[in-house]
Amino acid sequence: MDKVKGIIKLIHSLVPDNKNIRIMNVCGSHEHTIAFSGMRSLMPENLEIIPGPGCPVCVCPESDIINAINLSKREDVILVTYGDMLRVPTQKGSIRTEGKNFRMITSPFEAINIAKSNTDRKIIFFSIGFETTTAPTAGILEMGVPENLFILSSHRLTPTIMEILVKDAEIGIDGFIAPGHVSAIVGTNAWNVFSEKYGIPTVVAGFEAGNLLLGILEILRQLKNGKAETSNVYKGVVKPEGNMQAQKLMDKYFEVANVNWRGIGYIPGSGLELREKYSWKDARIVFELEEVKETKIPGCICGTIVLGKAYPSACKLFRKACTPKTPKGPCMVSMEGSCNIWYKTL
Amino acid sequence: MCVGVPMQIVEINYPSGIVEAKGVKRGIGLQLLPEDQVKIGDHVIVHVGFAIEKVDKKQADEIWETLDEILRVMDEEEKDARGFNSAGHD
Repeated sequence: MDKVKGIIKLIHSLVPDNKNIRIMNVCGSHEHTIAFSGMRSLMPENLEIIPGPGCPVCVCPESDIINAINLSKREDVILVTYGDMLRVPTQKGSIRTEGKNFRMITSPFEAINIAKSNTDRKIIFFSIGFETTTAPTAGILEMGVPENLFILSSHRLTPTIMEILVKDAEIGIDGFIAPGHVSAIVGTNAWNVFSEKYGIPTVVAGFEAGNLLLGILEILRQLKNGKAETSNVYKGVVKPEGNMQAQKLMDKYFEVANVNWRGIGYIPGSGLELREKYSWKDARIVFELEEVKETKIPGCICGTIVLGKAYPSACKLFRKACTPKTPKGPCMVSMEGSCNIWYKTL
Repeated sequence: MCVGVPMQIVEINYPSGIVEAKGVKRGIGLQLLPEDQVKIGDHVIVHVGFAIEKVDKKQADEIWETLDEILRVMDEEEKDARGFNSAGHD
């Protein structure tokens, strides 16, 4: 506790009185720790810790979810996906309310087991998320999957969206807390672009409050000294080069694609689709999926919140029409969504 | 979805393995780590059924401190969702 108090004292000493400093985290689990620990209330008033795009469910395109709903209505299909995806609202409802043949899984292995137990059905794994879930999907492809298992890939790349944020002057990021487990896959080297090209201190941190505070302190030290480096206070897990075997497998099965981020729009090179070589496993191709035009959820500012341009409390729906039990927008659904986290901690 | 759980390897049948944490055992994939770099007794971060990286014991214990809080929240959400799960959707 004394150590934590000491870090907080140092943080206060390093924040200049005459300047606002904005540090962004890009991981739902980081935001969870920050919000639940009450860390923001202990920070200097002019130090903002902004939740960024750390919630994969929040940015999954409406079009993919509607396609998933429609696929689940086919008698010859069982759609499988992670639990959070089932509740994400769209103009056509959610998978949970409008889907027919669907199952929740907690691991891609369960998709394999379901496929083996239902050889007369086509199993479509709606595979979403950042690098931490892409690598496991590449893992099952490497291990070999049943013929009747197909992948609907809606994977997104963390470094790419972070670079988009850096270029947006409206957000004004002074430092990044890089996501701990995404970093385990991509390595600290993946963040060098922010310190070297954009002059933004970037620190990989773990998920314990004290470790996150250390990360914030390191960013402030660099700002104070006029430096910008990539640092790592989660060394027990994250290496500079990352998990090279995981990277190799991801590269073997996936290729970079121009994809839509819900509420944000198309971002070049920000997603992963199956390589053409594996198109016979690609549900988009096998089931000839077409893009559904995205609709705006009236009043919802989830896209703006994901970009760090507004806090959940700025949304008119927050805590009123939109609650974890009655989510109007995707940010309220997942426990990694900023609105969901803030609802439980404010 | 992206919550990584530190678990200890108790059995290896590469590329599969069995890990344990808090008395719970679970089969996982070791495909994302080279075969010659994993051994029984190692602690690994498990994400959606795959070990994504090795972790030292001290760091694993620190992560669990945070996870206990997150899992408490998840349990509450699971209770809320239980009505749906028992509905028998295919």
